Amino acid sequence: MKRANMTRADIAVGTGVIILATWVFWYSNGYRGTVIYIYGPNFFPQVLSVLMILCGVALIVRAIRGKALTKKDRIDRKGFVRTVIAIGICIGYLYLMQVIGFAMGTSVFLFVLMTFLGQRGLVKRVISSIATSLLVWAMFRYFLVIPLPTGIFDFTF
Amino acid sequence: MDFHLLSQAFGTVMLNPMNLLFVFVGVTAGIMVGALPGLTATMGCALLIPFTFGLGPVRGLLMLMGIFCGGIYGGSISAILIRIPGTPSAAATLLDGYPLSQKGMGGKAIGMSTVASFLGGTTGAVVMTFLSPEIARVGLRFGPPEFLALAIFGLGMIITISGRSLLKGFISCLFGLLITTIGFDPLSGVPRFTFGSRDLLGGVTFIPALIGLFGYAQVFRNIEKMLILPTVKAKVENILPTLKEIRAVLKTIFKSALMGTFIGSIPGTGCDIAAFVTYGEAKRTSKHPEKFGTGILEGVAAPEAGNNGATGGAMIPMLTLGVPGDAVTAVLLGALTIHGLQPGPLLFRDHLDVIYPIFAGMIMAQVILLTVGLSGARFFARTINIDRKILTPVIFFLCVVGSYAMRFSFFDVGLSMVIGVVAYFMEYYEYPASPILLALILGPMAEQNLRRSLIISHGDPLIFVKRPISAAFIAIALFVIITSYYRIKKAAEKEAQMASVSEKEETD
Repeated sequence: MKRANMTRADIAVGTGVIILATWVFWYSNGYRGTVIYIYGPNFFPQVLSVLMILCGVALIVRAIRGKALTKKDRIDRKGFVRTVIAIGICIGYLYLMQVIGFAMGTSVFLFVLMTFLGQRGLVKRVISSIATSLLVWAMFRYFLVIPLPTGIFDFTF
Repeated sequence: MDFHLLSQAFGTVMLNPMNLLFVFVGVTAGIMVGALPGLTATMGCALLIPFTFGLGPVRGLLMLMGIFCGGIYGGSISAILIRIPGTPSAAATLLDGYPLSQKGMGGKAIGMSTVASFLGGTTGAVVMTFLSPEIARVGLRFGPPEFLALAIFGLGMIITISGRSLLKGFISCLFGLLITTIGFDPLSGVPRFTFGSRDLLGGVTFIPALIGLFGYAQVFRNIEKMLILPTVKAKVENILPTLKEIRAVLKTIFKSALMGTFIGSIPGTGCDIAAFVTYGEAKRTSKHPEKFGTGILEGVAAPEAGNNGATGGAMIPMLTLGVPGDAVTAVLLGALTIHGLQPGPLLFRDHLDVIYPIFAGMIMAQVILLTVGLSGARFFARTINIDRKILTPVIFFLCVVGSYAMRFSFFDVGLSMVIGVVAYFMEYYEYPASPILLALILGPMAEQNLRRSLIISHGDPLIFVKRPISAAFIAIALFVIITSYYRIKKAAEKEAQMASVSEKEETD
């Protein structure tokens, strides 16, 4: 059962690699006429795509011959859903940060993510999220002098 | 080796409190990152590079080298106390470290690990200091074919040690090389695979790719396994080993340190291999090999001296030839380029003001590691107890900040996250991430030198085997790849045999 899973994955990846490499080879042909010498911008990507096609074929052949690796670890489904939601929260944070600013957006993001991951102590969550965001914000703002999004609270700092 | 410059560099590092402070901060942060399971020294360096942007190259590198050394040592703390190696290089340390901890000697094991790390790291740093300028002098004679051969050698080496399948290592490496072709062609200036995006004209920037591969991917895994991983508690008492105990293992420490330095200096190997090889060697040559694995201090000292010796060793090819010894030095190489320095032989001709402080800083980092390690062992042990539900969001946030800070670009954050998702799946299907990282570093060098060589030779590929150094690098790479193929095949057959036996037992 486990071996079958990896076999299917290997065949799928091998096919994907061949398709990608074939496309790279074809697309790189467009760079052929851009320079006068033979070993132009198309040369290296095309060398790579040929090697990738060979690897893709080898991967499929090995999988069909039953030589695919057995899986050592499996993706936990519930955990995977948790990861996807966490990524969603992060994407929301990237938009929020541009509206309400880096420091405030980060505090909200950390608090929400800690709550989502099951941290129950309210004081711990509040203190660690505010302290982390302010510390990093201050370090970037005053020490490294790297601009961070200020959002609508531009006037604050 | 210019002793005058070296003594000046020691003055620069030691007499300037700010420089010492950055080494101290780096070592401390490194130990904490290393001690926390799931956070590697590579990840620590990747996440903390953005914090060095505002510093000069010397201070930035001093801090990063501190993280490197601290991270490799820090991994032993969790290996000893909770049987989870904080970094892969500490996996050999737990074999004797954890049994010592079970006997109530966890503190002493950490103390011995600290002393061995100090002595191993110092040996590696001293060898690096004296050997690097000589190797760089040879490197100055390299032409395009030699540099291509060197890139093939480095990539070949990392492919062979990155997992259970050479083929998957190759695919990772080719994928990484393909990524490096995005953006302006280095020779003709033609934009490639940019699809009209201005963000891609400069190529896939190193830091976001790095944070994606080693930061986001790990965070995603940590979130996925959040409820599966057991909660651990660690505490230590009685840290300092006695002089008698140190003297008893001193020979092993120095032998392991020298072996570790040598192993680390081979591009693509790194600290994990050094730790296992030195542990095996210590066991093989011991008068009491049967005691290894039962909890003896020698079993902790050997791998720790070995993996910390490898830190200095791994820096040698990175600084002298521009080919990183392992994943962490690949990150350091990236950091050097971010600070406007191109690692390789020319660094030893044009930037002696940076090179010698790096040597001095590496040695100083060991002294600080010893001091911080022995005095702060109890504190670092407590960091293992930090709640993952708080720590993981903070690291997630550092990944976002790190990928943003390079170009103040949300595009980079998104790109980094996408690379992180790809790397997350890659791990499950056993496609190693390290070859991608090394390919990102060596890709442009490989492409430019391949094309230059062929232009010089009018298209004759024999140019790579006609020149002795180039031929030697290619021959060694081929030899290692072929022998690795048979080693991996043998291991796979053994694994399949064991699996079929256990299946049979289950059906019975």
